[in-house]
Amino acid sequence: MKQSPKFPKCYKIESKPHKFCPGCGHPLVLKMLGQVIDEMGIADKVVLMVDIGCSLLAWDFFDLPTTQTHHGRTVPTAVGFKMADPEKMVIAYLGDGGAYAIGLQHTLTTCLRNDPITTIVVNNTLYAMTGGQLAPTTVDNEITATTPGGKTEFTTLRGPELLRTIAHKEAYLARGTTNKPLVLKQYLQKALEVQMKKNYAFVEALSFCPTNWKTNAQKTIERIQDLEKTFKTGEF
Amino acid sequence: MIKVLIAGEGGQGVQVIAEILARAAFLENKKALYIPNFGVEQRGGVSLAFVIIDDKSVVYPKFAKADILAVLADRSWERVKNYLGEKTKVIEGPAITGQDKGLPVKTWNILVLRQINQAGQIVSQKNLIQALEERLAGQFKKNPELKELDLKAVNQ
Amino acid sequence: MGNKILAQAAKDAGAKIMFGYPITPSTEILETWAKFCLKDKSLKILQTEDEMAAGFGVIGSCLAGVPAFTATAGPGNILMQDALVMAEALRIPMVTMMMQRGGMSTSTVIYSQEEVRLTCFGGNSEGFRIVYSTSNLQELYDYTLKAFQMAWKYRWPTFVLADGYQGKMMGEVEISNSKLPLTNLKPILTKGVNLRNCYNLEEEIGEKIADYNDEYQQTRSEIEEYEDYQTKDAKIILLAHGIVAAAVKIAVDKLRKRGLSIGLFRPITLRPFPTQAAVKILDKAEKIIVIESAIGQLAELFKAELFGLNTTLIEINKPALGFTPEEIDKQVCFFADAQK
Repeated sequence: MKQSPKFPKCYKIESKPHKFCPGCGHPLVLKMLGQVIDEMGIADKVVLMVDIGCSLLAWDFFDLPTTQTHHGRTVPTAVGFKMADPEKMVIAYLGDGGAYAIGLQHTLTTCLRNDPITTIVVNNTLYAMTGGQLAPTTVDNEITATTPGGKTEFTTLRGPELLRTIAHKEAYLARGTTNKPLVLKQYLQKALEVQMKKNYAFVEALSFCPTNWKTNAQKTIERIQDLEKTFKTGEF
Repeated sequence: MIKVLIAGEGGQGVQVIAEILARAAFLENKKALYIPNFGVEQRGGVSLAFVIIDDKSVVYPKFAKADILAVLADRSWERVKNYLGEKTKVIEGPAITGQDKGLPVKTWNILVLRQINQAGQIVSQKNLIQALEERLAGQFKKNPELKELDLKAVNQ
Repeated sequence: MGNKILAQAAKDAGAKIMFGYPITPSTEILETWAKFCLKDKSLKILQTEDEMAAGFGVIGSCLAGVPAFTATAGPGNILMQDALVMAEALRIPMVTMMMQRGGMSTSTVIYSQEEVRLTCFGGNSEGFRIVYSTSNLQELYDYTLKAFQMAWKYRWPTFVLADGYQGKMMGEVEISNSKLPLTNLKPILTKGVNLRNCYNLEEEIGEKIADYNDEYQQTRSEIEEYEDYQTKDAKIILLAHGIVAAAVKIAVDKLRKRGLSIGLFRPITLRPFPTQAAVKILDKAEKIIVIESAIGQLAELFKAELFGLNTTLIEINKPALGFTPEEIDKQVCFFADAQK
């Protein structure tokens, strides 16, 4: 496939077209990340760890050293790598399930330790790869595969807000949205710059999942705009 | 081969004297293997120490019957009575017998150590003292009076 | 102390980072390593939030080409399996010291041989692992050095499988002066490398597992180790591993003096099991008596590998309890017809 001039140079051509669903937010996030890596000129330093969930599809997305890990264990793998080779720019890439449910203790502890890695969490408010079940970020009354009557139990987890209560003052926490990719791109860049300054960085990317939301294009955009009321974008 | 079992309450210094004994054996160019018991009731429960000394390498740290059984607290008897064999030499500490040779409580474990060594003819007095001084070097530095008392105990 | 010896051995083997979560009876390994880090700035330590983070941390470090290890026991062994099976899949030279404690849930913090099955086969996989079962302090040292060597050479997760007795007992060992370099000590995750452990089709993964198995089977003879103690002409052969084997050896000496024709076959690698040697040696015996501080976990390994062997097999099981040489003596005499 001929490389479009707008493709980031660090893309792995052989894996394109990518395997994400049409309308998925991941390719947008990854494209922004790719552009940032190109522009910062750090491709030879970046190491990427991806979680199990839809994020696993990013394993061969880039021509960058990448490894899948186990569900929720992406962050500790990244921490181990960074401890062994502090010169590398280590990125942990997960979904909301990996970061906020099964891997929550790693997300919290790594922030608490101010480990100098960059965590990117793509939050589509449900467990997409397995068919759209409840997630810690599912909002009130949201219908998911395991809350067919709409979510009523427990509150919604807001990652960056939670982390800010335990983060180092130099740590960088932000939430962007795939609805405004260029703003998200700025956050991703800052998140990598902060790692260079040896601090923890975390960016949540509110994202859409038309496949599991079962929404058409218009409804997808409407829904993410609605979600932005719960998941406020900005730097924390 | 000499099999020593020491038992007492947590805090009576059972493990310390076991370590000193093992260390003294090493100084004497013998081989020793020592293992403490260690359960979750560590704080204030029964403390046991198994020490085996031999001329050749000791590979298994536990035994069925002790050659020397030293009991520092009455309550500990329950835990160790099965290790009593026909030939076991029994030593009971001052907390049980009342015979403290005029020495304070904190040295009673060293008194027992001395008695164990005498009963088993395990190591020379010189090596026993050296092991004692090495093991308790930190405490002796902070508290020279303790050193004096412990040396008195080990020379009883 | 055994645990301190393990930490020293890891350092001498070339490990640079330890990841771990405190759990009895392995904790002194982590504490000793922490003290090493104070004196030697080339070493690092991370006490993690749980054993999963410890295991994956080790993997992260190995991916960067830096030898790392962890140590755990009991419930920690269970949590560690998450990382261990990924190490199997991605061929990571992860080294783990497994200090067996009482079986079944939290249990005692002391001793058993009930983590054999879990350590050998605890992943959702076929157990492509190297497991050394040590039986004394010197072996804790020697086999830790070897574990790092073999892990980096063959790229299977490798274990030093010991127990609380070995970890806590104190005695002397000889330290090695020769430091052998580890094979292919370089980063695994480099440019051009994209690793996955998730597959799409049955055929893809089926082929991969079969390939791994071929390699495992083809190289096993270079890895298998066993000890053969007085088995020549022995009519009864005892089968034991770990510290139980140490007690068995003492019993064998006593029994031989009393005229019993008896010996010990001790597998040192539980994975890969020293099958070829076992077949040759055990074939001549009239009775095989398996002695372990578990219910048939060693016996199971043995039976799986040596199915078809026509010898009488007796199992002496004492889950979570040790065997003194005197006890073994008594038990063996009970099962053996007085044979000269």
